[in-house]
Amino acid sequence: MPLIITVFNSILAIVALLNMYSNVLQVRLTADIQYSSFLDLYRFVAGIEFIMLLLIMPATTAGSISGERERQTLDLMLTTGIKSWEIVAGMLGAAFVKIFLLVVSSFPMIALVFVYGGITGRDVLLMLTCYVVSALFAGCLGICCSSLFKRSTAATVAAYTCLAVIVAGTFAANSFAYSLARMNWSQMGYTVGMMGEQAVNSGGFLYTLLLNPAAAFLVILEGPQTAGSSGILGMYGSRNGGFILNHWMVCSVAAQLLASALLALLAVKMVRKRGIGRNV
Amino acid sequence: MLEIRDLKKNYGKYQVLNGLDMTVPDGSLFGFVGPNGAGKTTTLKIMVGLLAADGGTVSYDGFSFQEEGWERHVGYVPDFFGVYDNLKVWEYMEFFASCYGLEGLKARKRCSALLEQIGLEDKEEFYVDGLSKGMKQRLCLARALIHDPEVLILDEPMAGLDPRTRFDFRETLKDLSDQGKTIVLSSHVLSELSELCTDVGIIDQGRMALTGSIRDILSQVNSSNPIVITLFGGGTDVALSILKSHPSVHTITVKGREIVVRFSGDEQEEAVLLQRLVDAGLLVSGFTREKGSLESLFMQITDRDEERTVLRYENESGL
Repeated sequence: MPLIITVFNSILAIVALLNMYSNVLQVRLTADIQYSSFLDLYRFVAGIEFIMLLLIMPATTAGSISGERERQTLDLMLTTGIKSWEIVAGMLGAAFVKIFLLVVSSFPMIALVFVYGGITGRDVLLMLTCYVVSALFAGCLGICCSSLFKRSTAATVAAYTCLAVIVAGTFAANSFAYSLARMNWSQMGYTVGMMGEQAVNSGGFLYTLLLNPAAAFLVILEGPQTAGSSGILGMYGSRNGGFILNHWMVCSVAAQLLASALLALLAVKMVRKRGIGRNV
Repeated sequence: MLEIRDLKKNYGKYQVLNGLDMTVPDGSLFGFVGPNGAGKTTTLKIMVGLLAADGGTVSYDGFSFQEEGWERHVGYVPDFFGVYDNLKVWEYMEFFASCYGLEGLKARKRCSALLEQIGLEDKEEFYVDGLSKGMKQRLCLARALIHDPEVLILDEPMAGLDPRTRFDFRETLKDLSDQGKTIVLSSHVLSELSELCTDVGIIDQGRMALTGSIRDILSQVNSSNPIVITLFGGGTDVALSILKSHPSVHTITVKGREIVVRFSGDEQEEAVLLQRLVDAGLLVSGFTREKGSLESLFMQITDRDEERTVLRYENESGL
């Protein structure tokens, strides 16, 4: 764990320092101080941290139950008084604590941005919430795959595939639906100009982004949205607002927590099963 | 008393257990034997709650295996030894103690006492992964005893151990049995089981083929053992024609100068058969019924090609 923390924070530090260096260099060359570029430092570091969390968490949990199966220690645990949900909760908790330690250890790096200002404590708190919920979701996905498969390799591959489908797949589905909608408008005789652009959107596909941790992260990074008319959500067409769009973060967090609970429940059900795949 | 009634288990279309019945008296050392694939490990896994049965019951003193808290009555030593990386012996023990709700000083005392009982008290600081197979097996036994269960279930516990470790392990099991633990163990080393166990059960094709006190069983076995006839100076062909014509002869196997005959007659019929062989001019230098052993009994019960033995012999010998 100390090694992971060192590597993780080293990467963040290198990214932050390079960003600062580039800003300072720009000031020297142009004599023009762009304070918004200091905010980019925050976005950059936060983004790198988010990606790393999303990549580390499934790797930590995907090998937990399948690893116990491979080591043949799961049977020993199951013959004790310990319950299946306790095993899942324990493993998820252990992985979550590690990730939380990583997040906390990166606070000094994130705090660099306070030197320049522009980011409030609320913003950082929202970001922290996003990290925690995303890590929980990715962790539950990993542990679910771990309980489904006999081998850690298969479980890890499955976890990353599912995560890729959720993160990239939902963006792709929205882009595809939006393109189709624009083509339909075109065929119906409307000019794909401002009128058409403003009228079409990706429809119900937008709500698949509620499960996408990356979408939630980008929404937080962009700040409060105007009912999905701009930013990441606005990329898939204009909308008139509504409860979900107006409370996107809350709904996204709720959707991810619900999905996490369902995945954890499935993991609990599958712990006592023999698992998919070849015998080890 | 540990009782199994009408236990059934299928893996898809393959029926592993087909109404298994078994009774293990309190404080007994019960040897559970059977050929590979007979359903031993499946039965043991159902007994410890690792597998769900498709039918039937397992109970200990009226407490059903489906009831909450069953695992408190049972300790399990599997046929493998799973280890965690970088875990010391005392950490391994305390981890499993915590699984049973034993924490702190109470857990430490219990672990130390058990490690002393199995002779690993000086290995507390050793990494589990670095222990020898025999030590690991003893540690596994200590782990299974951590919650002081009434029933101890061991799956092939002495497989791969050297003779000295086997002896020590046997002694430990005897001690535990003397302390009142009910022990069920499966093994392929039948001679060992017959020395160690007080009771035995032979499972074949998912059913209990034979069960009871080992003393009673072995005394019955003697009478059903084969007769070994040793001829001096040849005459095997003549002996075979006499034996084949006898109604009480079931199988004949020739091993060099020895003819092994499965003979169902009583002592008088044995004497008559010997008389016929001698009258035919054969020099019979040996005519003895084999002593009963668990191994011979096991072979007898699990041998499904028995009826074809005579024919097979005829084909091979060209008679």
